[in-house]
Order: sequence, then structure tokens, then C-alpha cells
Amino acid sequence: MAGQSKIKRYRRLVQAAVFMMMFIIPALNILEIYFIKGTFYSIDVGNAVAADPIAVFQAAMSSKSVNIYMALSVVIPILLMLFAGRVWCSWMCPYHFIVEGVSFVKRKLGMKKSFPVHTPEKKRRTETARLIILVCFIALAGVAGIPLLNLISAPGIISSQALVLVKFHYVTFELVFIIALIIAEFVFFPFFWCRLFCPTGTFLSLFKSERGMHLKRVSSSCSMCGSCKRACPMGLDPVTDGSSLLCHNCGDCIDVCPDNKKQETLRFISGRQHNFPS
Amino acid sequence: MSLREKVKNHLNKNPFKGYFRRNRLRPPGAVMEEKFMELCIRCARCIEVCPYESVKRADLFDRLQIGTPYVYADERACYLCMLCPSVCPTGALDPNLKEPEKVRMGIAYIEQDKCLNYLYVKDENAGGTQGFAMICSTCYNTCPYTDEAIKMEQFLLPVITDKCTGCGICVEKCPTDPKSISIIPAGMGNEDLAGLYYQRSRKNFKKAGDAEGYSGDDAIKKKMSIDASGSKPEFKFDYETTDKIDGWTE
Ligand code: SF4
Ligand code: SF4
Ligand code: SF4
Ligand code: SF4
Ligand code: SF4
Repeated sequence: MAGQSKIKRYRRLVQAAVFMMMFIIPALNILEIYFIKGTFYSIDVGNAVAADPIAVFQAAMSSKSVNIYMALSVVIPILLMLFAGRVWCSWMCPYHFIVEGVSFVKRKLGMKKSFPVHTPEKKRRTETARLIILVCFIALAGVAGIPLLNLISAPGIISSQALVLVKFHYVTFELVFIIALIIAEFVFFPFFWCRLFCPTGTFLSLFKSERGMHLKRVSSSCSMCGSCKRACPMGLDPVTDGSSLLCHNCGDCIDVCPDNKKQETLRFISGRQHNFPS
Repeated sequence: MSLREKVKNHLNKNPFKGYFRRNRLRPPGAVMEEKFMELCIRCARCIEVCPYESVKRADLFDRLQIGTPYVYADERACYLCMLCPSVCPTGALDPNLKEPEKVRMGIAYIEQDKCLNYLYVKDENAGGTQGFAMICSTCYNTCPYTDEAIKMEQFLLPVITDKCTGCGICVEKCPTDPKSISIIPAGMGNEDLAGLYYQRSRKNFKKAGDAEGYSGDDAIKKKMSIDASGSKPEFKFDYETTDKIDGWTE
């Protein structure tokens, strides 16, 4: 892992491709090519379907039934999370792509980064808070009796706005919600939505497993420079928090780690190998 | 209805699940509205797949139905190509539905005091037409199930049968404004039982007399005002017309 920013380069490529796809898919559908169709609530490629697990979970919850179509549509996303961790968020989600743009602009404008301080205490509180928020949201959806959380699913809204824009040439009011979130990203701490509130992201992270891809310090020595800590968009300490549900495997920490140039120090692994005292 | 019953209806009815409007239909194969609102995850796959842009996304003003699919029959009907039911990931649209004649999105309803054919017959029965009345029959001619879903009584009066799929093609094509035929969506209930929202919107309904559009007598008056000897009434084809056809000479 010698080349700096190597992972980021691939990640940007994937993100940009996914972002473009949001506009290309409806355009293809207008041309009556239905090989791939849908939004980030649910998409199908050929005969393979993938749906946002929290969306399907809510549908199952409010209708009190599970049918074969629902069950099949969550297989791919859940497998992906089990094997690769919460990669949807950092590698594909259009909202995350936009917010990374926001933090870039903030940096250019010289605005303070204002990350919450990385203390294990703060981290634990964030981790608990987001689970509690998810449970509250789900309870709310349960009371309403409809898949309510889809109305605040940032990736779903963005992609369906792209769809209406391409297909019907207008946008709907939901865009205001996204714009409000983006403005809030300027004001609050970075990635506040993804860290605490997003139902999609929190629910997906529940399927993250120790056996799947996650971050690990694999060398016994580490210069403890703290570069990775400063780079982490989720406010984690990568040296110790690699298997935190918050970590979405973006790899920014691996890219900045100076020790990686000399010897593999921080990297993605699967399974429970390489246990070093940290 | 007693006060107690009213309160009961308001509280027992989930306002998000029983919201109907004329000519606003769920795509073919949709399960009952209540179940539909529970199942639809607003993924828009049915919207993407419709080749006629018949399926649209509900906007904010449709309350929490934002993002769910609707066919607005008066704008663009469903042409029963049966592409959309099979793409739904949650079964909100029945993926096994393949036969268009089994679709029941709603049922057409003809308002006899607006329909040109009914007006014509009324006019004639009133003592012979004076050359103003028009025979339309558009709905009968455009229905994909002519003589099954829609029949002609006395050769002139269109009547809907229970074979009607609710596709709304007749509504889209009906030339009167407001439409003389509309689709009552499947599951649309009695307005007295329709809960909080309906009660509120009912207050905003105009009384029959103040309503815009034409009641039967107005329609006849309007038709009588069209005078062939005067200026031509404006008429635009909504398709390209051609004066010359290849291989044919006048
Ligand atoms: S947490 Fe939500 S908004 Fe953020 S990247 Fe993940 S899915 Fe997207
Ligand atoms: S059956 Fe065909 S025309 Fe009708 S709504 Fe579905 S996709 Fe559109
Ligand atoms: S495909 Fe099904 S879940 Fe998706 S928007 Fe249409 S009805 Fe709803
Ligand atoms: S009468 Fe015919 S055209 Fe009209 S909704 Fe019924 S099936 Fe469709
Ligand atoms: S198309 Fe409209 S006006 Fe014409 S016959 Fe049918 S309902 Fe009447």
C-alpha cells in the first residue's frame, strides 16, 4: 500500500460512476432499455434486485408480512455489507459524495473543521445515539403504519429527484430537504447526518461483521502520529476503532498513514487475524 | 351520523392509508390502498418502466403519499402494457398479474348531465334536435374492451359494465371539459367514512351551483353558441396532419 491516496482515487471513480448512473438509468429507460431500472430505494440489474434493507424492513413491518420479493431484494445488499462492511456509504451513496464536496469547500474557505474531539467516550456516545435514533425512527414509522423513513432517506431522495428531473423535467419538494441537509452540513459538525441520523446508513451498519472487511492496525509498531484520526470523516480513531459500526470503510485513514509507506501498518482485512496490542 | 361515530371514524382511520381522489389511480395490479401504502417503498421502478409516462410520482401536496406512483387518468391513462406489475420489489403491485383484462384499477363513471351523447339523446327526446347537438362516442371507440367494458344502450348511450379495467383511456380521450367520464379508484369509500382528511376537504368542495364547468343546460347553451356561419371554432389536431399521402394523388 505504497501509493498515497490510492484508495481515494478508486473511491472517487466509483462514486462518480454511481452519481452518473442516477441520471443515465432514467435516460436509458426513456429509450425503452429496461435492463437496469430503479432508484436507490430499490434497483434492479437484469434479474438481480437490490433494495434498501430499511425500506423493505419497514414495508414488512407495516404490512406485517414478508413475501418472496422482499426477501430476495435484500439479499445482495446484506451480503455486500457482511463481506465488505458499510461500503455503500463511502463508496456509492450520492449524499456522501456531495457532503465530501461540502467538506472540501469548507476546507477551501478556511472554515474550521470542528470535528468533535476523538475521545473513546464521545465515540461511544455517538454509537449509542445513532442506534437510539434509529429505533425511535422505526417506532415512528410503526405508528404511522407506512414506510415513513423513505421520506428522509437521502440517497433515495437524491436518486428519485434525478429520475423525475430526467424523465419529467421537474423536481419536487423533497429536494428542499436535501438542500436543508447540505446547508446544515456547513453549520454543524461534518457528516452529522451520516454519523447520527441517516436510517439507511445506521441500518446497513448493523450488518457489518468482524468476519467481513474491516480496518485493522496490522503492525506492532505505529508512530502514533494521529494523521488517521484527523482524516477520519466519522470521527473515529482508526487505530482502535476499525470494527466500529460507524466506520464505513472509506480508507481515508489508510491513505494518509505515513507508516504505511515503510511497512504495512493500517489496512483492510477480513476475518479475525493479526491481533496486535494497540 | 352521530358525534360519537364521527369521532370514532376520525380516530380509527389512518389518514395516510385511505386517501382517494377521482382519476388518480394506482398502477395496475396494485393491492388494496391500505396495504399498498404499507408496502410501497417509493422506489419508482414502476415509474421508470412505464413506456407511456403514465405512472407519475405523487408530489408533496398528496400528503405522505409523496413518491408513491399514481396514474392520473385525465392526463395520461394506462395503456395496459403490463410492464409495471412485474418490477415491484415488495409486491405492492402483484408481479403475477399478466393479463390486462384482469386489471381493476377502478371503474369508470359517466356523468350523464355532461356526456355529449346523453345530452344529445336528452335534446332529441325534448322534441327533436335543432342541429346543435353532437354525438361523441369517443369513450366507446377508444376503450380497449369495446362492447365488453363499455356498451352502447339504444346505440347511443355509453354504459360501463363490471368488465371495466379502470385504465382511464376513455377519460383521457373524452373531449368535454370537465370530463364527462371519470374513474373511481378501486377502494374509494363512502365520503362519510373516509376520515379526517375527507371531512376537511369536503368543506372546500364547491356547491353544485357554484361549481365551474357546465351543468347539462349550460352545456347545451354552449353548444348552441357554436355557429357554423360565423367564425370557425378553434380546433387543433394533437397529431401531425398531412395533406399528401405517398403514392396517392388527389
Ligand atoms: S449514512 Fe446515509 S446518507 Fe450517509 S452515506 Fe450512508 S446511506 Fe448515505
Ligand atoms: S401497464 Fe403499462 S401503460 Fe399501464 S401503467 Fe403499467 S407500465 Fe404504464
Ligand atoms: S415498484 Fe412497487 S414499491 Fe416501487 S414505487 Fe412502484 S409500487 Fe412502489
Ligand atoms: S371503460 Fe374501457 S377505456 Fe374506460 S376505463 Fe374501463 S376499460 Fe378503460
Ligand atoms: S367520450 Fe365523454 S362525452 Fe364522449 S360519449 Fe364518452 S363520456 Fe360522453
